[in-house]
Amino acid sequence: MKPIKVSLMSGSPKPLSSASGALLDSLKPRLSDHFHVSFHYLNKTSVPEESMESFINSDILVLSFPLYVDGIPSHLLNCLYEMEINLKRHPRPDMTIYAIVNCGFFEGHQALPAIEMVKNWCHKADVTWGQGLGVGGGGMIQSLSGVPDGQGPKKNFSHALDALAFHINTGSEGEDIYISPNFPRIGYKIGAEMGWRHQSKMNGLNKKDLDRRLV
Amino acid sequence: MKLIIHDLDELKFKRLFPDLPNSFRVVSNDGTIKKCVGCFGCWVKTPGACVIRDNYGDMGEWLAKSDEVIIISKCFYGGYSPFVKNVLDRSISYIHPYFATRNNEMHHKKRYNHTFETSVWFYGDDITEDEKATANKLVVANSINMISNIKGIHFVDSVEEIGGGIL
Repeated sequence: MKPIKVSLMSGSPKPLSSASGALLDSLKPRLSDHFHVSFHYLNKTSVPEESMESFINSDILVLSFPLYVDGIPSHLLNCLYEMEINLKRHPRPDMTIYAIVNCGFFEGHQALPAIEMVKNWCHKADVTWGQGLGVGGGGMIQSLSGVPDGQGPKKNFSHALDALAFHINTGSEGEDIYISPNFPRIGYKIGAEMGWRHQSKMNGLNKKDLDRRLV
Repeated sequence: MKLIIHDLDELKFKRLFPDLPNSFRVVSNDGTIKKCVGCFGCWVKTPGACVIRDNYGDMGEWLAKSDEVIIISKCFYGGYSPFVKNVLDRSISYIHPYFATRNNEMHHKKRYNHTFETSVWFYGDDITEDEKATANKLVVANSINMISNIKGIHFVDSVEEIGGGIL
């Protein structure tokens, strides 16, 4: 039997240490052993040749990216347009697309317009929509690497990835899922703001500099 | 000031809008824009300005000086074109990294004690109803996150239909 080819594509502009990549890393062990899985980085404004070749030959694409200004980051948008053009030359209506969108806000449902854009892209590119997952609290995803799966603040992430993996493994369409961390919103806010102060201090700024106005 | 962000080629823009008053600042695609790299330097290194010093590094300041922002964009999948989205991705220095709660959701705090109106003109002769619905949600979400008021969301088959609508 021909192996099912799965492309996991991170659309973060950061090739390393991104929440988008970490979510794909967490998804990968949940995927069927029968899949032939490849990992790609779409961190530039054009799709690398080998990634495009892998994509066009894939049965399943899982696209993971950060929410930028309520939508798809511009470099990734350009990549999707290139992929649409390629699909017009090499139609793949049997290819199924799943999308994971992480946002810095607490509420995963703020990723809804971006997930709809991927669905609209599927329509234009004539590929099959599978399922979307909007993940809130993107700023804490990487800090949870030591937390056991399904436990504490990771609980909602783990359950959502289990549900997404089920649909990917069965090649089925699922309802979109929007999650927030299993963690108090106020705690997330305090932690994020401490992080901004720490980073600005590392850059030689003081707390008040964060409020700088240029007008 | 009125700020126009558009993705039309320069000649076409000048033909369509030949007599813009001096109160307009126009952000066009000069082919040099760099993508946002997600470094958050515009919040924690050079607060209020993008660390990438190309011709688009002062978007936050320009938004703070604008009473109205007019976006003219080809509709891509219910959103903006890659160039217009690139400009907006490079504009987050306008807001503050800290969070605030609006509509019982987490959003960013204001950096400036200022708001602007937004008019968006999506163009394209194959915009689907689903794309229009998504685009409406996108502009509403942008207005909440960028603390602006929506003046209008328009869909036209061709930019020629905009005419004097932006003035």
